[in-house]
Amino acid sequence: MKNKEQILEMEICECGQKSVAQAIDIFQNTAQPFKKAKKLVSECNKSCCRGALLKVYDMNVFGKFDYEEIAYVIEQRLERIRRLGEED
Amino acid sequence: MYDYEWDRLKTWLDQYGAIEEHVTSPHEITRLDLSSHALKNLPDNFGLLTKLSVLNLANNKLTTLPASMKNLSVLSNLDIRRNLFEALPDFLGSTSLRSLNASGNKISDIAVLLTCKELRVLDMSANVLKELGAVFEVKNELRTLNMSNNFLKDISHLLPVLGNVQRLNLNTNLIGELPDTVSGLVSLEEIEITDNNLQTVDEAFFALNVKKVNFTANKLTSLHLHGLSSLEALTLDENPLEEFAMSDDFAPCLKELSCESCGLQEFLLPPSKILENLCYSSNKISEIPSEIGLCTKLIQLDIDENKITELPESLANLLNLNTLYILGNPLNEHAKKVISILDPEICDLNMKSGITIENAKEEDLKEMAGLLGILFAIESDFEIDFDKQYAGLKQLYEADGSDLLVAKHENQVVGMLTMQRLISSAEGSFIGQLEDLVVREDYRVMGVGSRLINKMRALAYEYGYKRIQLAADVNNDNALKFYTRRGLKRTHLSIYHFHL
Repeated sequence: MKNKEQILEMEICECGQKSVAQAIDIFQNTAQPFKKAKKLVSECNKSCCRGALLKVYDMNVFGKFDYEEIAYVIEQRLERIRRLGEED
Repeated sequence: MYDYEWDRLKTWLDQYGAIEEHVTSPHEITRLDLSSHALKNLPDNFGLLTKLSVLNLANNKLTTLPASMKNLSVLSNLDIRRNLFEALPDFLGSTSLRSLNASGNKISDIAVLLTCKELRVLDMSANVLKELGAVFEVKNELRTLNMSNNFLKDISHLLPVLGNVQRLNLNTNLIGELPDTVSGLVSLEEIEITDNNLQTVDEAFFALNVKKVNFTANKLTSLHLHGLSSLEALTLDENPLEEFAMSDDFAPCLKELSCESCGLQEFLLPPSKILENLCYSSNKISEIPSEIGLCTKLIQLDIDENKITELPESLANLLNLNTLYILGNPLNEHAKKVISILDPEICDLNMKSGITIENAKEEDLKEMAGLLGILFAIESDFEIDFDKQYAGLKQLYEADGSDLLVAKHENQVVGMLTMQRLISSAEGSFIGQLEDLVVREDYRVMGVGSRLINKMRALAYEYGYKRIQLAADVNNDNALKFYTRRGLKRTHLSIYHFHL
């Protein structure tokens, strides 16, 4: 199981090449609604990282981060990509 | 009489702190929380708990459940999310299951659901389901179904048996078509099919009474919107819509429409007279129709990142419009004048970027004392006295258990918030007393106050405070609304002062 520091270093957005820590920092420094704030992280209009970023955004609004949950969502997406790759 | 099996089970339950000490019989146990214990299996005699109605086994390492659980005939709520199941347990059909959460497993076999006739809420998200045949009886009680994050391609056999389903989530699958069997969703209120391969939506869909639809991130190239007489919210973001049309009979109750990043060149105005939220951002739109002035209920308009140079003067008639996103357009001077007449509360053209939230430094204290003057001008209980306010802030800055946050822009303090640690006998622990939230007038409606509160709340969590609280002037309506919107609840307490 990863510790908090390891989770903060995980890449959450491939397009914007941002780590969890960077995404949290961006969300903490904007008051934009999710759609706009997400683009500050991803720097694109794609939806690949939306699920994980939405979790982090909501946690920021709530004021408490569940790092295990963030890691789970990121890993779940990578696992899905791996499975889809195997099937191709 | 001594019951060896019960004693064995009680000892096992005790080690996870799952039951109270005073429990003397398995029949006294109706609810159990055994989540997050890395359990690989349950005791064989778990079925002794015949009165169990709610069982939480989430976040363990379970692959199967003991056969004796077929005796749990009154079990109505089972949570097995985030385990290692590859198939749903066989005993489920012997229970009275009404709610099942099995998300985050490796389940590909859900045949047992055919026997779960009372099931109302089912979450099978994040599994490895590929095909769904006859999963449910034709007559079933299912109201909420979440099948997101699976590998479903064809849902034509699933839809006809979902006649009672009100909320359906099929996000992140591989669905390419919403087939004609969608007509079976006669009770549907909300449907989400985001992040799929949806290319076609059958005509039958437009006859549904659905209220909320989300088709974000699909492959829809052609869509003619009509019917959907109960629709209130539609999201079509990230679809490559080459052909997009709306009939006059489309969604008379529509309040929200979002078509972000759809490659649209034309701004289509929905016929609804009660539209509140309209988003056409990141398209190729160059013109806003003057008829937009008829959308008098519009509260938020998002047309960021388009090719708009001119705005119709009728836009200034939208008296309810309080949020306008319009950055990233080559606006001409006339368009800017229309915006200045409209004067929305929030407009990203007026937003200042680069505002940071940070811990106050000693050199910020004078500016902060100046800011407090703005606050005390509103609050009739206090007098503006720079020296007193500066002295107070300095003491606070130097005190243990105090936090002072400032919002800064271009090296100036434009907002502030303080928190002091108190001991609460009610909570039996530390709490945080928030005070002095103030934002310079020219930096309001930019989310600065929200960011200060969010950051301070995060600090309070970090310190393990049990509560944060604040006092607000009863005549400061804006502040009262602001705090309520951020989840702070008004108490029945009043504050009394006695000057010494």
